[in-house]
Amino acid sequence: MPRPSASKAELVPGTLDMLILQTLTVQPLHGYAVAQHIERLSESVLRVEQGSLYPALERLQKKGWVTSKWGESPTGRRARYYTISAAGRKQLGAEITSFDRALLAINRVMRRA
Amino acid sequence: MSFLDGLRHRLRTLVRGSRYERELNEELEFHLSLDEMQAEHRGLAGDEARVFARRRFGNVTYLKEETRRMAGFSLIDAARQDLRFAIRTLRRAPGFTLTAVLTLAIGIGANTAIFSAVNTLLLRPLPFREPDRLMQITLVTPAAEGRPARSDMVWSFPKFAALRDAQNVFEDLGLYEETQSSLTGDGDPERISGEMIGGRYLPTLGIAPVVGRGILPEEDQHPDTRFIVILGDALWKRRYNADPAILGKAITLDGKPFTVVGVLPPGFKGLTGKAELMVPVMTRDGPGLAEKWSHEFELVGRLRKGVTPEAAARAMAVLGARIDAEIPGRVGGHWGATARELNGVRVDPLVRRSLLVLLGAVACVLLIACANIANLLLGRATSRRREIGVRLAIGAGRSRLVRQLLTESLLLSLLGAAASVLVAWWGVKLLGAVNPASTLRAQQLGGLGAVVFSSVRLDASAMIFAAALAVITGLLFGLAPALQATRPSLTASLTVGGERVRGAMLRRFASRNMLVIAEVALAIVLLAGSGLLLRSLGKMLAVNPGFDPRSVLTLRMTVPRQSMARDSLPAFYDLMLARLGALPGVTDVGLGNCPPLAGGCNSTEITFLDRPPVPDGSAPEVGVNWVSPSWFSALRVPLKRGRLFTAADRVGAPKVVVMSETAARRYWPNEDPIGKRVGLGQGGFADGATVVGIVGDVRFGSIDSLPRPEAYISYFQSVRQGMMIYLRGTSDPASMAGPARHAIREIAPGFPVYDVLTLRARVADAMAQARFSAILLALFAGVALALAGIGIYGVMSFSVAQRTREIGIRMALGAERRNVLMLVVGQGIALAGAGVIVGLAAALAATRVLRALLFDVAPSDPVTFASIIVLLLGAALLASWLPARRATRVDPTQALRGG
Repeated sequence: MPRPSASKAELVPGTLDMLILQTLTVQPLHGYAVAQHIERLSESVLRVEQGSLYPALERLQKKGWVTSKWGESPTGRRARYYTISAAGRKQLGAEITSFDRALLAINRVMRRA
Repeated sequence: MSFLDGLRHRLRTLVRGSRYERELNEELEFHLSLDEMQAEHRGLAGDEARVFARRRFGNVTYLKEETRRMAGFSLIDAARQDLRFAIRTLRRAPGFTLTAVLTLAIGIGANTAIFSAVNTLLLRPLPFREPDRLMQITLVTPAAEGRPARSDMVWSFPKFAALRDAQNVFEDLGLYEETQSSLTGDGDPERISGEMIGGRYLPTLGIAPVVGRGILPEEDQHPDTRFIVILGDALWKRRYNADPAILGKAITLDGKPFTVVGVLPPGFKGLTGKAELMVPVMTRDGPGLAEKWSHEFELVGRLRKGVTPEAAARAMAVLGARIDAEIPGRVGGHWGATARELNGVRVDPLVRRSLLVLLGAVACVLLIACANIANLLLGRATSRRREIGVRLAIGAGRSRLVRQLLTESLLLSLLGAAASVLVAWWGVKLLGAVNPASTLRAQQLGGLGAVVFSSVRLDASAMIFAAALAVITGLLFGLAPALQATRPSLTASLTVGGERVRGAMLRRFASRNMLVIAEVALAIVLLAGSGLLLRSLGKMLAVNPGFDPRSVLTLRMTVPRQSMARDSLPAFYDLMLARLGALPGVTDVGLGNCPPLAGGCNSTEITFLDRPPVPDGSAPEVGVNWVSPSWFSALRVPLKRGRLFTAADRVGAPKVVVMSETAARRYWPNEDPIGKRVGLGQGGFADGATVVGIVGDVRFGSIDSLPRPEAYISYFQSVRQGMMIYLRGTSDPASMAGPARHAIREIAPGFPVYDVLTLRARVADAMAQARFSAILLALFAGVALALAGIGIYGVMSFSVAQRTREIGIRMALGAERRNVLMLVVGQGIALAGAGVIVGLAAALAATRVLRALLFDVAPSDPVTFASIIVLLLGAALLASWLPARRATRVDPTQALRGG
């Protein structure tokens, strides 16, 4: 029985929005797929809890960075598909830049200390 | 764009709440099913997979809550929840809810009704074109013999003409005068109110006839030429069946034919507020119009664009001085002129003041009602503190709880407002039934009459007012209890029995005490106001008007101008007096021209032929009344000296006058007036008449003004067309009306008889304005007193309930019932006493605004104040007596054990 492994990392706070936006740049996805995508690409290190995924998607929609539309999933069920908007892409760029800068800074600290 | 996308999203979630909910469920369901599928894929059995997926998924409800909160959904959702909760809570306490809603219904309803009146009479723009450019223009007269200075004197035609030709601040000037005419032909004779108007009167107001035309310029040029009439809408419909063919036909007014040229728009009754027809001022006779000192016309002007009212008033002052120089004043100094905004004189100042006093009073009542409900809510909050404590403990936000409690109070106040519409509707109906002519003394005092009580109605603005009041009151009585109830005192609230919540409770108790003190104080203010008005009314009722109004019927009659030669009038009087005197049950019949207590009628200058002549304009004024010899006995006016008129005092016999006591005292302080020779400026008595008698004073002006000097002339020596007939009978005076009308119709067919009233009713009408304010204010004060009593009762009951154990101990230790009684009652009285002290200070300040409404009572009248204090303390005694009695019934053992 698979259990959540100890190696799985909690998300760095504030990065979930960025990860979702990044994921959606490839194609419109429904919520489950977004979570799966993030999990798979991070090789199961990052896990997205539903409890934060849907509120986050709601938040992104409210800011106008993501829009949603009902469509049909490959299994034939109705699903809500999320699409990144132009504003979302701009926001993503900004977040990546600041994230990179922060990561760089952390790295510098970690290497020198 | 992103902003728009976001906004659209928000709107969607707001507008389609249920759909949003469904979609969220569907989305989560979908997610869950995919999780399950995956688990199955990994080799778990169906059930197990579902359990796993559920576990993995986490708390669905929490998830939904979070997502929903993110969607900004919570506000509306929470409001809906709060509302549902509030409805449930209120339904669970029907007694409380009913009390609160009823209290509010009365409070808000009374406010809405009075507001409607204030709105119609004082606030709403006058129903004329650009009403803010309309001004009333008047003459200013200096104080003269027995008469104060006035700044609202009406115009004579020559003075008006001088003003019209010289002024340049007004675009149009409208001249008007109230008239009474007898309308005969096609139907019963009628006495009709009308206006005699200048040619520019209707254009000045911006009123155009709906049928036909107004007054042409050539009809406004020369006196006594064109006899035309414009009908009012009501008269046109009533008497002429709204027939447009009436145009061009003649109707008979005072025996003369007048050609109908137009019909006025519905609802417009001129600035007098009662005109049923209008005739040009030029239908008057030339000599009458040319009389410089015959002041009778009101004047209204429409300001030129760009001219301010202040500039117009200044211009009028300048012109007034010029006119005075051309036509010098004859009594006591220079005359002037002024102008004021028409809106400012729309109702009499006394009426304005009464209305504002009433508005203040109802506002006080509403405040007391709010305090009372806040009190009830505080009491409820105490009994709900466990519930609230639990909610706080399990993490409910304070703001959310406050919002919930406020929802409850807003719901209460909105229910109250809904119920108040009924109260307001009833109140407005009552106000509409008020007779403006008598109640507002419209005939005796200033004010337009164009806006009257009957036009008061519940309109949109009244509804908005009620709704706004509901919200304000809801917040007012809800906020403090809500804040206090949710003050975090977690552990205390949860402690069983709540004995340790003393601190919080005392605080709550203190604020309840404050509320009761405020209530009592407000009640004192209202009681003081109504007490003063009632006392003033009582003093008015005690005034002797100078005649005996019991069992007297009065009718007015006018001999139409062309129907009878003046020489035959005395014979007609004889015939009529004899005929009416012979009616069964009639003991006395008298004729008089001036009804008592109705503002007074004629006055003129009096000269003394045995004294050196005085300079022009400085002769004293005296009221002149025409009476039949029998008038004095019919009204029981006592003869003080000399004799009354006799049958021998007729035209041709030596002229005689009777003077009133006040006249005798003022003009002959140290002499016997009998036999003195005087000249009166009216009735053909200027060349001299002999004083033959002195009679008691009669108040012709008003009940609350001192009698003026009066002179009486006999109808038989100086004939007049108009008269009021006084019938004194042995039976119910109103029952004489039918036979009297019948008798008059027999001897004088076609003579209009009108204004039939018992003399008692006339006396009552003269005091109607005072009675109106006094009764309404007394009603409000009564409500306030009851509410304050309920407030004291509530607090004392609560206090007794809280102190059950303490009282038990006291009784166990040997306290007598009497001591317990004193303890509780003493506390109630102390509370009321504090309120009385605060209230007295406020009342002494507030009642000063009543000064103008009071007759013979000082605003700080000690008798009134003493009695209201006794009244209020009595109510407080009663209100705390009941809980005190309950306290004495406390069983010590039970109180101690049960604590």
